[in-house]
Order: sequence, then C-alpha cells, then structure tokens
Amino acid sequence: MAQARNAVIVGGNRIPFGKAGGAYASASNQDMLTAALDGLIARFGLSGQRVGEVAAGAVLKHSRDFNLTRETVLGSALDPTTPAYDLQQACGTGLEAVIQVANKIQLGQIDSAIAGGVDSASDAPIAVGEGLRRALLKANHAKSASQRIQAFASIRPGDLAPETPRNSEPRTGLSMGEHQARTAKEWEITREAQDELAAASHHNMARAWDEGFFDDLVTPYRKLSRDQGLRPDTSVEKLAKLSPVFGKGEGATMTAGNSTPLSDGAALVLVSSEEWAAEHNLPALARFVDAEVAAVDYVTGDEGLLMAPAYAVPRLLARQGLSLQDFDFYEIHEAFASTVLSTLQAWESEEFCTERLGLDAPLGAIDRSRLNVNGSSLAAGHPFAATGGRIVASLAKMLSEKGSGSRGLISICAAGGQGVVAILEAV
Amino acid sequence: MGSDDVDVELLGSLPGVGGEIARALVPTRRSGPDGTLPQRRVMVTDLEQDAERFAAYSRVCGFTLRDEVPPTWLHVLTFPLQVHLMASPDFPLGLAGLVHVSNEMRLRRPVAIGERLTLSSSAADLRAHRSGTQLDLLGEARVGDEIVWTGRSAYLARGRKPTGAEVPDDVQNPYEKAGESGKTPTKIGEVPSALWRLSGGLGREYAGVSGDVNPIHLSPLTAKAFGFPRTIAHGMWVHARALAALEGRLPSAYEVSVEFRKPVLLPSTVGFSSVRDGDDLAFRVTTKDGGKVHLAGTVA
Repeated sequence: MAQARNAVIVGGNRIPFGKAGGAYASASNQDMLTAALDGLIARFGLSGQRVGEVAAGAVLKHSRDFNLTRETVLGSALDPTTPAYDLQQACGTGLEAVIQVANKIQLGQIDSAIAGGVDSASDAPIAVGEGLRRALLKANHAKSASQRIQAFASIRPGDLAPETPRNSEPRTGLSMGEHQARTAKEWEITREAQDELAAASHHNMARAWDEGFFDDLVTPYRKLSRDQGLRPDTSVEKLAKLSPVFGKGEGATMTAGNSTPLSDGAALVLVSSEEWAAEHNLPALARFVDAEVAAVDYVTGDEGLLMAPAYAVPRLLARQGLSLQDFDFYEIHEAFASTVLSTLQAWESEEFCTERLGLDAPLGAIDRSRLNVNGSSLAAGHPFAATGGRIVASLAKMLSEKGSGSRGLISICAAGGQGVVAILEAV
Repeated sequence: MGSDDVDVELLGSLPGVGGEIARALVPTRRSGPDGTLPQRRVMVTDLEQDAERFAAYSRVCGFTLRDEVPPTWLHVLTFPLQVHLMASPDFPLGLAGLVHVSNEMRLRRPVAIGERLTLSSSAADLRAHRSGTQLDLLGEARVGDEIVWTGRSAYLARGRKPTGAEVPDDVQNPYEKAGESGKTPTKIGEVPSALWRLSGGLGREYAGVSGDVNPIHLSPLTAKAFGFPRTIAHGMWVHARALAALEGRLPSAYEVSVEFRKPVLLPSTVGFSSVRDGDDLAFRVTTKDGGKVHLAGTVA
C-alpha cells in the first residue's frame, strides 16, 4: 500500500440554496446536483476529464434515484468513465463524502475526487400508503388472475392516502425540533442568545455575499443568484417577535427564525492529492487533516439528539494533540441556533466534560468572533446533504485567505444522534 | 403446571378465538367466585408457527422481523388455549367480565420461528381481590421436552369475592392505584422519550394478526356496547410495542412483567420511556405528557 499523503481541498461549487417550494420547486435532486457539478467542472476546467470518483448523496431520496450520483455524472460534462457512488449519513452526508474521498486520496487509491450532496424538500418523495403498497406488491407477485384479483380486493379506502416523509426520528416519533427543544431547555439556552446567533448568521452571510466571498463558490441556477432565505435586514428585535414553534409553554424558545428552514440545494467539493492539483495548475486551499464521527443514545433520552458533535470533537482533538482553542475558524452547523449554543456550553461545562466525556477539565470557551464568520445554515438554508460541501468549500477558502498553517474545525450534527466533525489546515 | 398427573385436553389445532367468544356468550350457569377452576391443561402439540402471520404481527407491533420470536408472540399463540378454557361451561366466571390486569412471561432461551412447539394452558389460584375475584391463566411452550417459555396472565372479575376469603394486604387494584395518585412517582424521566401515534384502526390491525377479536378493540360502536367511550387498544399490543421499543437492549433470555393500569383509547398519541436499573430495565407507556400511566413494566 502506498504511503499516506496529503489530500487537499482544491475548491468547491454550489448552487444558491432555495427555500422549500421556492426557486427550485420544479427541480429534482439530480437536476440540482448536475447544476452544481457542471458549475464545478467549468470552474476547474474538468470538462471531458476522468476524475478518480464522485461521491455524493441525498437524505430525501426517490427510489428511482438509487444511482443518483452516477446518473448525475453521466449527464454532466465529466468523462463518462468517471466512477461514482451514493452515500448517506443524514445531515452528515456531505462531510462524510469528503472524508471518504480524502481517505482514498491519502491512501493513494485515487488522485482526485468530487464529493458532496444534494437535497430537495420541495420535490420530496411521496409514497403510496402501506396497505396499498403491500397489495400492489402481492398483485405483482401473483401467479394467477384470481390471486391478483384477491390482492386488489384487499385494498381498503384508507389505504389510498399517500405517505409523505416525516421529519421525525423513527424510534422516538419526535421531530428534530422537538428533540432540540428538550436539549435547549436542559442547557438553559435563552431565546435572546438564540436570536442573537441567528441575526449574526444572516448579517455575516449578507456581508460575505456583498464582499464577493461566494463569487467563486457559487453558480447561479434557475434565476437564483443568492441564497433565497437570506435576510440581510433581520435583527434581534424582529426575530424576537416570532412565536415559538418547538417546545411547549413558557420555556419554549425555538422559533422559525432561530431554526433552519427546509431548503433545496446542492454543494460539491473538489479534493485531490497535492501533485494532482499542481499538475492541473489548480490551487491547494487547505489540507484535510483528520475527522471523527460520534453517535449518542438519544432513544432513551440519555443524551440530546443533536449532541453527538460534542463527543466527536474532543476525541478528534485528543488524537491530533490539539486544544479547542487552537483554531482560527469554527464552522458549527446551525441546525438550530440552540444546537450551536448547547454544544459550546457543553464544552464549557465541567460536569459534562468530566462526567460525559471523561476529561480532567472542560474544553473551555472559544473566541466567538471566529465562529461561523461568513454565516451558516440559519442564513444560507440547509438542504440536508448539501451542507457539508458548502461548509468545507467555504472554510477551505477562508483558511487559504488567512494564510499557511491556519486551522479550522467543522462540526455537523445529524439525525439518528450522530455527529461528523473534521479539521482542515491551510496549505 | 409441570406436574404430569393433571388431566390433559388435547386439541388437534389452535381454536379460533372468535368461536370461543361466541361459545362463551351462550348462557350457562356458572359457579361464580365460590366455584373451582377446571383442573385440566389444554394443549396442542407439534404446532408449526405461521411465518407469514408472524411477519404481519412483527410489523403491526413494531418489531424488526427476526428469526427469533418475542415472548409476546408466544403469548399470542397460547391465547386461544386460555380463551378455550375460560369459555368452557365448567369455568366458574364469565369470560365477558374478565379483565387482563397483569402479565408475566419468562423467555428461557431464544425461540426460533422454525421451531415446532407444544403449547398448553391451565387456570390457577382463584383468589379474593379488593374489588372482586382474581385468577391466573398459566401458559407454557415447549420444544420437545424443553420448557422454553412460561407465562402468567392475571384476570380480574369485578364484583363478588369468594365467600369468607380475606383480601391479602399487598393486593391492590392496579387501575385504582393509577387513578388515586393520578401522577406516577417512578424514577423514569418525567417527559416521555418517544411518542407513538396510534391510529383508530390499530385494534382491527392487531386483531388480524393476533386473532384476539374482542369487540372492544374493533370499533367505537362495539366498544361502547361494552361500556368504553371509544375503541381501546389491546393491552398485549401495548406490551408488545413496548418490548419492540426496547429492541437491542433486551438480553437473550429474560423475564418481563407488566401491569395494565389504564386502557389506551384509539386513536391517540401515547408516550414511552424506559430506564436501566443495573441489569434490569423499567419501562412505561403513559399519556403523551407523561402524567398518567397506561402500562408499567420491568425486564429482569
């Protein structure tokens, strides 16, 4: 086996994120992923070239899209001999795809890859009800006409109601927001703190757009040239007027303003060996350093659904011999403003760090001016599998601008009680 | 059970529960709380488990379809034998007045869907209860000579107690126990860790896979006829769903006990929570705010 070598982020491309039922209401996952991919191909001059592999996924997926990424490659400007595969780890999909291809590059199995994801909350699959589905399958498997008639005869009117995907955890029946509302309450995250974080996300992202930060990270699509949910003029005062949507009673703090909206979009990252980037006269923005995935037992209520990154990061830091304060930028995915805040609070908590993480002392506070400095999911929107690609590409660019040796931490929480985290370092 | 000198009523196959219920409705002079329980054991031998029905049962109860069957499935298989015994003319109490108040089962080893079973049921321990007369229906499943599962279902007939019998102090009416306190002081988390949304048709679905066609579970109209405001969920479905929720935390052999405290009306949303206590598990199904308990159980 080849010696481990560096995998570097060359760049990325995404389409502006749309609101559910908005600009991309008529576009499928494959349409959007193709748009992001063709934009990336154009940006880095990859037309007609064979890339090592393309790895991407979607969280809400139609059964017809079993080979979504390969189909996207076949419809793109890449050489059709480029292999591709789908993977899925809920909201961790995009980052997990980057980890996957970076590992292969480090091992020398491939020299270049494109990784990321796509999601559409607008074009979500709707399935026929369980009763009808089973009857249709039975009819399909029937060997005689009478068996087939029998199968159809078993259909009841109630079976004809369609089933839409639920945004709830299968084992708890609670939506992600309801889960996070419990975590927010447990960590006593205030409404004000959440609204401040949300306002900062919009303001930071609006400034980044104005400064042209996203000019070489985004390709317009379907008349959209900026993220559709971005509200540059929002304020803590305006956000304070919204009614809570998750949690109950006086203690409820989570509103539509400090929770990410359902969104549509796609994002991809170009990863390669340093040699491949040099051969193609492409930049190496940041080195992929290391990654870690943790999971928590949220089913029994033992830990919050979205708290797994709080466990993954300390494990990653220990392996790399780093402290939480050794970073120039922190990219903590804003599933909800309170997710970011409870994670930060956990790292500052002596009780959590000693009892839950088994550490001698708390990880401590971070410099908040280094957190999500160009905005995050509250402002951009959060097409589940696309978020990892958006963050990796943005952070790599920020690190490259900051200068050699600067370091960034990515933390993404995911359904199923999982958390995917990674470290990038400017080359 | 276990002694081999009792009478055995050997059935050729599992009886249909619907037919047994109809048989029980035929007016019969029953001896009441002062009577004696039939001493015989009702049995079927060399029973092949229905893999298709088990798949449907697993789906309705939320179990992952495995080759090993849960203990509640073995209860479902012995239930027709229980009902057969209770519907018999020499059974002292009327079937319609019996309420399933608690259940205990011991799974001695994993039982596979492909194993042929000898199932039997007998009645035992007719006794006084604060609000009536209680008795147990005992069940047993064997593979060859090996006992793999045992069950004990306690039924309560409200009203008359056996003459002269004293009510033991420790016997309480589990329904009253829940009603008195309103809230439960158990250690399990105040807020349910999971919510189950139960459809109005759940009783019919479970009747289809379990064979328990008791009309109180089938429709609001038939439930009203028996004094319930709406259709009520089968207690053994609630029990099975709770075991399914503990999937992955259950040992390969265990004892599970539950109390049915308050019927679950359909449709409704109920809460579930569990807590580990050393090697044991305690769990409960509650109203969605966790305030009142429908079912409380332990796994040891």
